[in-house]
Amino acid sequence: MPETSRRGLLFGTAAVSAGAFLTACTSNEPKEKATAANNQPAADDKPGTPVTIGFAGPQADHGWLNAINVNAKSRAEKYSEVTLEITEGSNDTAAQIGQVKTLINKKVDVLVVLPADGKALTQVGLEAMKAGIPVVNLDRVFASPQAYRCWVGGDNYGMGLNAGHYIGEQLKGKAGAKVVELAGIDNLELTKQRSQGFADALKNYPNVKLVARQAADFTVESGQAKMAQLLQAQKQFDALWNHDDDQGVGALRAIQQAGRDEFIMVGGAGAKSAMDAIKADNSVLKATVLYPPTMAASAIDLARALGQNKGIAGLSEMEIPTSLTLYSAVVTKDNVDQYLPTGFS
Amino acid sequence: MTQPAPSAQHHGPDLAKPAAPPPRQERGPRALGLRADVRNLSLLGVLAVLVAVGGFTEPDAFLDTGNLQLILTQSSVIGVVTVGMTFVITSGGIDLSVGAMVALASVWATTLATQEYGFAGILFTAVVVGVAAGLVNGLLIAYGGMVPFIATLAMLASARGLALQITDGKTQIVTVQSVLDLGLPDAYVLGIPPLVLVFAAVTVAGWLILNRTTFGRRTVAVGGNAEAARLAGIDVRRQRLYLYLLSGLCCGIAAFMLIILSGSGQNTNGNLYELDAIAAAIIGGTLLSGGRGTIVGSVLGVLVFTTITNIFALNNLQSDVQQIAKGAIIVAAVLVQRRTSRHGET
Amino acid sequence: MAPEPPLLTMSGITKSFPGVRALDGVDLEVQAGEVHCLLGQNGAGKSTLIKVLAGAHQPDGGTITWHGAPVQLSSPITAMRLGIATIYQELDLVENLSVAENIFLGHELTTAGFVVRTRVAEIEASALLARLGHPEIDPGRPVGDLSAAHQQIVSMARALSHEVDLIVMDEPSAALDPDEVANLFRIVDGLAADGVSVIYISHRLEEIRRIGDRVTVLKDGRTVAVGLPAESTPTRDIVALMTGRDVEHVFPPRPASGVPDTAEPVLTVEGLSRKGEFEPVDLELRPGEIVGLAGLVGSGRSEILETVFGARKPTTGRVTVAGRALRPGSVRAAIAAGIGLAPEERKAQALLLTESVTRNVSVSSLSRFARAGWVDRRAERKAARTATRELSLRPDNPDAAVRTLSGGNQQKAVLARWLLRGCRVLLLDEPTRGVDVGARAELYAVIRRLADEGLAVLLVSSEVPEVLGLADRVLVLREGRVVHTADARELDEHRVLDLVMEGSPT
Repeated sequence: MPETSRRGLLFGTAAVSAGAFLTACTSNEPKEKATAANNQPAADDKPGTPVTIGFAGPQADHGWLNAINVNAKSRAEKYSEVTLEITEGSNDTAAQIGQVKTLINKKVDVLVVLPADGKALTQVGLEAMKAGIPVVNLDRVFASPQAYRCWVGGDNYGMGLNAGHYIGEQLKGKAGAKVVELAGIDNLELTKQRSQGFADALKNYPNVKLVARQAADFTVESGQAKMAQLLQAQKQFDALWNHDDDQGVGALRAIQQAGRDEFIMVGGAGAKSAMDAIKADNSVLKATVLYPPTMAASAIDLARALGQNKGIAGLSEMEIPTSLTLYSAVVTKDNVDQYLPTGFS
Repeated sequence: MTQPAPSAQHHGPDLAKPAAPPPRQERGPRALGLRADVRNLSLLGVLAVLVAVGGFTEPDAFLDTGNLQLILTQSSVIGVVTVGMTFVITSGGIDLSVGAMVALASVWATTLATQEYGFAGILFTAVVVGVAAGLVNGLLIAYGGMVPFIATLAMLASARGLALQITDGKTQIVTVQSVLDLGLPDAYVLGIPPLVLVFAAVTVAGWLILNRTTFGRRTVAVGGNAEAARLAGIDVRRQRLYLYLLSGLCCGIAAFMLIILSGSGQNTNGNLYELDAIAAAIIGGTLLSGGRGTIVGSVLGVLVFTTITNIFALNNLQSDVQQIAKGAIIVAAVLVQRRTSRHGET
Repeated sequence: MAPEPPLLTMSGITKSFPGVRALDGVDLEVQAGEVHCLLGQNGAGKSTLIKVLAGAHQPDGGTITWHGAPVQLSSPITAMRLGIATIYQELDLVENLSVAENIFLGHELTTAGFVVRTRVAEIEASALLARLGHPEIDPGRPVGDLSAAHQQIVSMARALSHEVDLIVMDEPSAALDPDEVANLFRIVDGLAADGVSVIYISHRLEEIRRIGDRVTVLKDGRTVAVGLPAESTPTRDIVALMTGRDVEHVFPPRPASGVPDTAEPVLTVEGLSRKGEFEPVDLELRPGEIVGLAGLVGSGRSEILETVFGARKPTTGRVTVAGRALRPGSVRAAIAAGIGLAPEERKAQALLLTESVTRNVSVSSLSRFARAGWVDRRAERKAARTATRELSLRPDNPDAAVRTLSGGNQQKAVLARWLLRGCRVLLLDEPTRGVDVGARAELYAVIRRLADEGLAVLLVSSEVPEVLGLADRVLVLREGRVVHTADARELDEHRVLDLVMEGSPT
């Protein structure tokens, strides 16, 4: 019996210290605080009439979506007269509809909605507009233009187009150049658009051929797995376009594991880790095509302008436009410093 | 009449007296063992067909050592999870939380705070988090009287939630070089990636435990008939606790392997592992209702799935076709099994 | 005999399953309004035959004639439409539905084809239940709340809710107490009087004598006797037909000397009770002694055994083995002290059906063959085989799947488990349930021999002759109380039945 109890005691002590150790290990605070994402001046910085903005987005289970929330929050904090009502993000359409309805009932002045599913949330957008609350539709577009006052979002087709042009230019003059594509989740419309843009751009370069395409699912794990397969399938190629920098972390790992470096890689979205690698210029990753999460900050700007009945500074229009498509800039070593603050992790 | 104490090492009185002379060890057909072998053989056949298809369609890319290394490496993480799952299913249970436990263990083990403790810190954290989550599952099921489906579903939700909370949706890049190095070709032992060695070790250990130890016997007994096992003197609840603990341990090991493989931790790790592991175990021949399990079958099941994915990717077929094929294989394998087991019935 | 053709004639029926020829030319002839008994050991083909008759199996060969015309029973629905109803041993009722809903399941009484007329259904259900002698069953209650006997009544009511000419009953008395069996007989007699034929399957010869008109005997998938008169055919002839051999002495002789009263008891039960199940029980078991517990279903006999074994936690009292009190409610403590239980529901409570004989036998003694958790499989197999040989378990193959064994041999596997464990007290709950007549005698001999070798046996059986024939001493239970204790030789069947039913309405 004393044998058992001693063992029990030992085990207990170990368990307690393991518990303490593990609790300490959940921390993700870096040693020095990272600088805030955006420091550029707002379009019109002078405080105006108070505005309450309701913000509803999907669950931030992905680096880019998390950056959307961060951008929206920090932008709103910049304006002393803006109050931001932010809901718990949800990927459940029904739950998100409920959240938007709650915001309508609270009578916020302007709504910013990044829907989990654009079509499914159209109805509630219409409802808000009818209730006299202007809606800024962020990124995933509603089915009806009547459901929003202004849409602001990225350009998925443009991403593919710009990535294709960049690669085409880099491979100019190289006969029989081979290109490989690592796409995102295949059943999303945006993946189709990115692939279409990429294919359309490559048509301008007859010497370049897309030889293989596999779809990952925006996760590091899938990026590693699918890239490893692509590398095995294509023993030699000249360029790779990867739709998403998060899965690109895994793709780069697979490339490192395969010991390959004969090609250039272009990423997508604009993660900080990708921009760091481009800046360091010590891997195959030479560029990334932006799908800027700063669009959330812009959406807050637009919402504030709507709430205060203003136009956009720098444009001669009295009203803000109904639609704003953001440019998918190509970030390379030459211009990376400019974009680095917008990189997300 | 004197009876020997029941715990004594010798038999009861009636057995002690010379019974019929023990004949030479019979080598007749071992009905039960043989049937499991046949099932494994049929999966080996499927694998052989796949290799033929791969070799025929993509002779250059499919038939080289690099691709063999690739298939085995891609099988290793889910393979370790499947070994744990096989034990749970054999005992008549189910563990829906394996993917979530892998995610939780992998992100907990790759926070900036953990990474400061280096290799040992990451390994220790991954394993302990897996075991702790398995312990919670086991306590809820064995002593809380919860149905495994519900208890592990709850764990799935909360472990994923906790993983998201820890990462905030961000990708946690691993900077500990000794961990990263294990995933690179320089670490291969005689051309075998370390991850594959771990997978092989877990498989062998799993096979030995299930087939050669009292723990394995009790697992099968509990799965075959929990009430009979209880009335035969097996501590069914403790056995169940250990089984979910074992599944958690496998998930912890798998999480560490995934960290090595992907060089990062992400809350989306282990996505749908529960379904892949269950599918592999079932096509391998483990009964979903419990009472029969085969580690070899499960591992073959994993290899079949990975090889299909590999062949499809090498042929540049897209994920829609891959998913359809995977579903078809599951249906076909289970139908074949049902036929063989019905033949065995009478 | 009237010139009228038989209601049913089956001739030359054959049916094979992969590896097994279940029916190898069976003939059966049933007259209108007769109670025809079907006899045969387990595996003789009775179940397959009635499934053919119910349309659940398609025969490979042979002809079936119904009301003088050949028919094909291509599905259960066809059989039912023709007027053949089957009541299986394992009742096929939906527990969550009410009595009336179960009775009219599949042919609900409806308005306009889809609105179920619950009230009308309940009234009609009540009428059917009354006809079966059970007007007290509430047609609105969920079937799951009813006793096994009442569920069987519901099953019969369902059969009668169709227009039937023939009802097949597969061991209808197996789960019933004597008074319920009496009611069953009344029902069967009533059906026959109404001109409905009954095919009655039972292991119990006395029942067949009581209600049967004629007997057909099956053996190994063949008909070995047709149309024997049920009342006058001698038992030994029937047993000989079923088994292919004579069974002279069913019960083994008791040892001449007997067990001395002064011997030290190995098992002592003092004031053991469970609230709502049985009152405090005292009993002592000496090595070499077989003690029987007689009583009706619900008298607490199985509950007492399971409580002694620790599978149920006692409200009061204690169990002592060789002077040491056991931790209450712990199966493991009971087993460690040397108690073994062969439970009533062998398949559900004792057997690992997916496993081999060896593993079923060794499961309670695994640690003996293990060093640091590793099982020495050769030693295990050898020991298990010694134990099964000791009991002449057939087939003599330790790797055979236990599922494929006959009921009697499955029971031997369970006994071998406890022999291997070196147990000194055996608790046997209905040891011969599902064991056919021929194999019973062998099992009785085994049990007696184990006792002669020094085991103490506590036996529960609902068959009074079994308790009286096998036990040395008998405790009679009624409604959870021991009402009488006596030497088995001083009791007879009538006396025991009087005791167990004393004061009860029937």
